[in-house]
Amino acid sequence: MIVAERKSLNEIKSFIEDYHKILIVGCGTCTTVCLAGGETEVKVVASGLRIGFLKEDKEIEILEDCITRQCEPEFVTPLVERVKKENIEAVLSLGCGVGVNFLADKLETIPVFPGVNTEFFGAAVEPGVWVEMCAGCGNCILHLTGGICPIARCSKSILNGPCGGSKDGKCEISPDVDCGWSLIVERMKKIGTLHRLEEIIPPRDWSTSHHGGPRRVIHEEMAPPSQKVEETAGKELQDKEGSGG
Amino acid sequence: MLEPSTARNKYAPCIAACPVHTDTRQLAEFITEGEYEQALELLLDANPFSSVCGRICHHPCEQNCRRAKVDAPVGLMKLKRFVMEATKDYRISRREKPLTIEKRNEKIAVVGSGPSGLTAAYDLVKMGLQVVVFERLETPGGLLGHAIPRYRLPYSVVKEDIDDILSAGVELRTNQEIGKDYSIDNLFNQGFGAVLLASGLSESRTLNIPGIDSKGIMLALPFLKTVLSPWPPVLGKRVIVIGGGNVAIDVARSARRLGAEMVTMVCLESRDEMPGWKWEIEEAEEEDIHIMTSWGPKTVFSENESVKGMELKKCVSVFDSDGHFNPQFDDSVNRTVLADNVIIAIGQRGDLTCVKGGNLKINPGERLECNQETLSTSREGVFVCGELLIGPASSVESVRDGHRAAKAISHYLEKGELLKQPIMELPTLEDLPDETAEKIKKQAPVTIELLSPEIRLKEFAEIERGFTEKEALAEARRCLACTTGALADEEKCAACLTCVRICPFGVATVEKTAAMPEEKCQACGICAAECPAAAIALKRFSTDKMKEQLQRVLDSSTRDTAARPLIISYCCLYEVTSRKFIFEKSESYRKSGIHIITIPCVARLSVPDILLPFERGADALTIIGCSEGSCLYPTAEERLLRKIHQAKQVLEEVGVEAERIDYWKTESSAEVSWTAFWEISKRKLLQIKNKE
Repeated sequence: MIVAERKSLNEIKSFIEDYHKILIVGCGTCTTVCLAGGETEVKVVASGLRIGFLKEDKEIEILEDCITRQCEPEFVTPLVERVKKENIEAVLSLGCGVGVNFLADKLETIPVFPGVNTEFFGAAVEPGVWVEMCAGCGNCILHLTGGICPIARCSKSILNGPCGGSKDGKCEISPDVDCGWSLIVERMKKIGTLHRLEEIIPPRDWSTSHHGGPRRVIHEEMAPPSQKVEETAGKELQDKEGSGG
Repeated sequence: MLEPSTARNKYAPCIAACPVHTDTRQLAEFITEGEYEQALELLLDANPFSSVCGRICHHPCEQNCRRAKVDAPVGLMKLKRFVMEATKDYRISRREKPLTIEKRNEKIAVVGSGPSGLTAAYDLVKMGLQVVVFERLETPGGLLGHAIPRYRLPYSVVKEDIDDILSAGVELRTNQEIGKDYSIDNLFNQGFGAVLLASGLSESRTLNIPGIDSKGIMLALPFLKTVLSPWPPVLGKRVIVIGGGNVAIDVARSARRLGAEMVTMVCLESRDEMPGWKWEIEEAEEEDIHIMTSWGPKTVFSENESVKGMELKKCVSVFDSDGHFNPQFDDSVNRTVLADNVIIAIGQRGDLTCVKGGNLKINPGERLECNQETLSTSREGVFVCGELLIGPASSVESVRDGHRAAKAISHYLEKGELLKQPIMELPTLEDLPDETAEKIKKQAPVTIELLSPEIRLKEFAEIERGFTEKEALAEARRCLACTTGALADEEKCAACLTCVRICPFGVATVEKTAAMPEEKCQACGICAAECPAAAIALKRFSTDKMKEQLQRVLDSSTRDTAARPLIISYCCLYEVTSRKFIFEKSESYRKSGIHIITIPCVARLSVPDILLPFERGADALTIIGCSEGSCLYPTAEERLLRKIHQAKQVLEEVGVEAERIDYWKTESSAEVSWTAFWEISKRKLLQIKNKE
């Protein structure tokens, strides 16, 4: 799940204080679950902002909404219509960065501001505590590291650890941070595969990660024909070859 | 007809068990909120004999209360009595309100002014019809007025209920005996469109044994009737009462009050089989009434034609294998009991004098032929209700049939056909699971001591007082509010598991979406306040009510004219021991800028609820929770403190001082401590203002 944390209201206030009518939009999926941007948080932010503006004697109309997911056109379209119909001047999204981007793309002429800081992909290790577990690098090697990701959970993202900064299972950057490689070693001992660490993991091709530019995933069975260019081209070629022979 | 209180179509068992389906759960809630008038409307809507039923109902609601599994049932009957006693003036004033319904021309004659006849009459008048009730005695009420002893039911209480009915426009003609002063044919000839027979089972059954015609032998109903007259019967020292039902107990206890020293009840049944209510039997025994179970009457022996005693024979079984009444005796085991009087209380039957000249069919066993679903008889236009229809019954069952009769007659007059109204059992909420019952805080019921037997026996005064307001509020708080628990909106639920993690009763589950099984949920509202998707709502307490109240407060004192500073105080409703305190305090404090909003458990407040007053222009918020250890819900206070902390952070982020939110725990009671808290909050706020 994408984990996010609400921005301070002071910062949010600075984004929107020059508008007269704004809409706060929550997201009913990831940011609801991580308690940063669901319908209840929308109410809290709206209330906090109203209190702040009341104190400054500013009259800003603050509307509230929450949609199932801010990253799907079917859920976003009705919201776009509402924004236009009600002459809303700016939108504050409590969805993750994806939601802000996607809303901004769809709304085009109306500014969209982020109400949360998008942090990482993580899991709830305890009620109210989330920990980063995946970096979304596009080339998963968890089969080599006992199911613990060195890219996300090692501070340096090194592929053959631990480094000299590992002490008593903790990382040198903070005694609160577990050493990812120490976790990998202990886990592989438990599952009896420690010997595999003798094989050096070669330097990797980072082009599957963000280093290769913005990425795209296509599921052909669902994607519209416009996304199937290569296959169609190949088929045409085959057809041509067939007719030529 | 009352709607089921949840989307799942199940009723709280107390409501389902009540023959008229009184919404006892809502009753408890209205009482908690100090809304006694609304509680009265609710009661009278279901049952015009609510004063009577607040005293003598056999309270199936309590017998089915799910709280029994935790400690003891909620005292719903006494709560009902409390409402009736607390709203007497209001009840009188509401009689002035004219009926708004359009008048219809049809006339209906009701024979008998007991609870079923008068209920039907009242309903028919409220439908716009014209009703005349014929009563053979001088005063109305049927057995309520002429048989039930005053120590259980003062006539003034019966009169309260009847006055409502008569003031609605029901015409009462007393001293009118059917078969003597008028007949069914007469009624039709006089233009009545329908006749309702509601004369009840007004005749006592007697025994056919040697010596039964001796002097000093009496029948139960005539005896009870004379007890209530200015010339009560004179009894000897030793009295035998034959019978083990509630009428027999009324007779025995009345005999003790009339001075009989040795009163013995003799019944065929074993102790467990006795038809009298358990509590009535126990109270009788407290009054030194001796109960001989499993004995049947054999002969009465007399001297100079006057009773001297009875010979009894052992009863070995009362019911046969099919459950039918078929007593078997062992004639060789006998016992003699001396007595100056014998009173026979072995059951009642209908007085079918009315049938004379009425062309009504009578079935074997002296029962009027009638249809249990349409309430019709063999003669068109003649209907029947109450005990003539269903046999011996409680008052509240008679009221139910009165309601049914009114519907049947109205339908017949309008459409010319019969209306089927089968009595249906309502689907009820399952038993409280053991694991949930264990987690619910035990709260002993408020009990009322009866007068001591020595004092009771001196007169016919009522032996039990009603709840005081403080007692009623404490007892109403015990209601588990069955069927009003949390409901998750599947569309909104993000399956985040917050509800599962914080439910203090371990009730919430998440598979694809959250679910709070209704039979377990305690309606504490903690999940609803914390749900990040705002997907959980409570039937019993939605914060909407509070928001409306807050809005009214703020509207009534717009920003410019309001006393400043303006402090809102959310207070735990459960700590208030009189509504007068809240109403009067609210009034006096409003002028100094403190507005009180009572909430049934402040743990139900969400962060937006806590911020709302500030958003609407309040200067400070004082939250007052319940006193140490008195909260019903585990973890509630801890959760509230976290929410207050979160709200304070929000305030600070927008430059408002966090100290503007204050939290107090009630000390001893609202009356004792709240005023001081408000004063402190006010002073604190002034300090903040001075710093600015």
